[in-house]
Amino acid sequence: MLTGYQPGTGLLYRLNPLVKGFSALVLILFFSLNRFGAMQMSGALAGVLLIALISRLPVVDIILSIKRIAFLLLIVALVQGFRGNGFEWLFAAEGIVRILGVFLVAGFYLATSPQAELMHFWEVVFRPLKFFRLPARELALVMVIAVRFLPVMLSEIDRIRMAQIARGAKIGTGGWLSSAASLMPLMIPTISQALIRAEELAEAMEARGYRVSAERTRYHQFGFALQDVFAAVGAAGVFIATVLSFF
Amino acid sequence: MILLDRVSYRYNEKQETSFKLKEVSFSCRKGLINGVIGANGSGKSTIARLIAGLIQPRSGSVTVDGLAAFNNGAGARFLAGIIFQTPENQIVGTTVAEDIAFGLENLGVPRPEMRQRVYNIAEKFELNDMLDVPVHCLSGGQKQMLCVASVMVMEPSWLIFDEPTSHLDPWTRKIFWKKIRGLVAAEKTGVLVVSQLPDDMAHFEQIFAFESGELVFSGSKNELKEKAEQLPWFNLPEAWRLEKLLGTKK
Amino acid sequence: MTSFLQFNNLSLAFSGKKIIAGLSGRFISGKLNLVVGRAGSGKSSLLLAIAGFHKECQGEILDDQGRFTAAGNISLAFQNPESLFFNPTVGDEIEFALRMRALPENEITDRSRDWLAKWGLPPEVYYSKHPLELSGGEKRRVALAACSVFLPRVIMLDEPLAGLDFKGQRSLADMLAVIASDHVVIVVTHEPEIFLTDDTNILLLSEANGTWFSGSEFLRRSLEHEDFYPLPAWYRQAVGPFIKHAALPAVNASSVADFLQKVR
Repeated sequence: MLTGYQPGTGLLYRLNPLVKGFSALVLILFFSLNRFGAMQMSGALAGVLLIALISRLPVVDIILSIKRIAFLLLIVALVQGFRGNGFEWLFAAEGIVRILGVFLVAGFYLATSPQAELMHFWEVVFRPLKFFRLPARELALVMVIAVRFLPVMLSEIDRIRMAQIARGAKIGTGGWLSSAASLMPLMIPTISQALIRAEELAEAMEARGYRVSAERTRYHQFGFALQDVFAAVGAAGVFIATVLSFF
Repeated sequence: MILLDRVSYRYNEKQETSFKLKEVSFSCRKGLINGVIGANGSGKSTIARLIAGLIQPRSGSVTVDGLAAFNNGAGARFLAGIIFQTPENQIVGTTVAEDIAFGLENLGVPRPEMRQRVYNIAEKFELNDMLDVPVHCLSGGQKQMLCVASVMVMEPSWLIFDEPTSHLDPWTRKIFWKKIRGLVAAEKTGVLVVSQLPDDMAHFEQIFAFESGELVFSGSKNELKEKAEQLPWFNLPEAWRLEKLLGTKK
Repeated sequence: MTSFLQFNNLSLAFSGKKIIAGLSGRFISGKLNLVVGRAGSGKSSLLLAIAGFHKECQGEILDDQGRFTAAGNISLAFQNPESLFFNPTVGDEIEFALRMRALPENEITDRSRDWLAKWGLPPEVYYSKHPLELSGGEKRRVALAACSVFLPRVIMLDEPLAGLDFKGQRSLADMLAVIASDHVVIVVTHEPEIFLTDDTNILLLSEANGTWFSGSEFLRRSLEHEDFYPLPAWYRQAVGPFIKHAALPAVNASSVADFLQKVR
């Protein structure tokens, strides 16, 4: 099942993260907006799958993970299918291919990008925010820390839940809309632990010389090679094609 | 050398004037295991933070190797590194290498030098084949090693530990003290351990004891043993207690 | 009446990998039961299995009434149980568990006050305080009391002394020994020294196997093999020569001094 980064060495892994990120964005835009028909889009989808295969991604696993959006695909097929007068299979197919395209492109992007690359991409995307006095690198660091602590917080919530249930709290029973009071034994300890963690982390960071908005060097380095040129050209082509499809 | 000269400190937030530290003066040398002992609220954690440059004294001066501790990290000279009690809440990076590099990024170390130093310190702490491992996959002991490595890579003149052993199991504790003795013997990095556990006290060679913000004792292990009756509020290590009990019964 | 918790061929796995294989034996009331082992030996998983939270579990868990059902019969406190606080007063915190069981109002308050007193905290002083106002040791006791106020037969604690100062550890360890007289108290710890008396019941988990010891047997084995458990050097030196003695002293200065007096 496709859940995130899978280490590998194929083509997609060797792309510069900015090129990869922006190419993925362009492809997602393509699948969402283009005015080509189901045939052309299926061709594009096949192309995407081919690149993934060449990059030695676990394509079979990824395709199996489509199960997760099966319900969504069904809804889309129905909505799109009834777009004109009565039900048209071609419209339904078009809808399905679009969703699949977005899902698979996003999936392949996440599967080939370790944390460091994702954060670098986000940092560059945040840079325009400097005009609004928002610090790009710091925001990216906030995201890095959030992701790094996610497994820790999840297991902590689990432990709190088990301990409170053993104490007699009724968490998780009582249906989908549990009252706020019954979630207190879970929420308050989780939040107070998170606050303690944040304070200790901030102190530890300061103790290691971190000063907000100071000039910091970078450990990670991303190269730019021939495959990036091809990818950039390809992405530009897709972008132009998307625009042209409107005429 | 660490030097505290008539240092006082208090928190602003408290309504009453509560002094965390009252005119404290002492010095620590390298080559010995220096220990700061005291109960909660005695001021020992404040001392650790003053030396690490996290807080500034209200009066008096705190210097490390002649430089003001509060400028720690400015100008790429890292005076004193501090390692806190819970390793989990000190790890910033997503992978081992990233966390070790964090401090060097903050010091503005150029990338080629950074890469070399990260690799070297990882080797020293037996983490070199784990550089790309996500930190949540590490065991408790490995996380503590990572914390120490991440501070040592910054080449501090002094290393301060705030309650380092309270969450360690006895086997890891033995290894910890062995590593500390090795570090101290090399005489390159000074070591100061803050602890309230009596068994840690048995490892200290130079002891500074605090009570309600005042330095009530400063001297060697043997001097403390002799003065123990005059400091009844300190829990002595069981080893010392036994010595005393056997001594009196002879 | 002694209550007990019995395992018959209990096996626990985690993602298919066996952590505990074929464990049999008993935890009983009247003695303090310890589960000892290095990190990753399955100590915490055993507690979760008893509590019914561990999925990959085979074999039987029985008590003096037959098959053991966890619901309402256990209290489970992980490390730093004071992180579970969410009420404005100590009283509310203790009463919560009884309130969830829909007991009559006056009974809730009476039982809570009595139980708090039993943990060494007089209710007149502590009942209306805010939990975060208390010292570390006091918070720990309130947390443990709040987890067990409904008097479950089995009280399980994972590292209950972690982070406390020396005095706090000593008094809490003594308190647990008292509570153990009426409940099956199971303490998971990687540092059993402070609890060890001749009378303790110890389960050592190592490499998926469990071995049972009495306090003295555990101390004797540790003295024989340093790798088994690293007892402090001063204890080794003092008690080592008398390893053959039936009842070895607890790991504190006064017990060892008394012991040495007797054997000389």
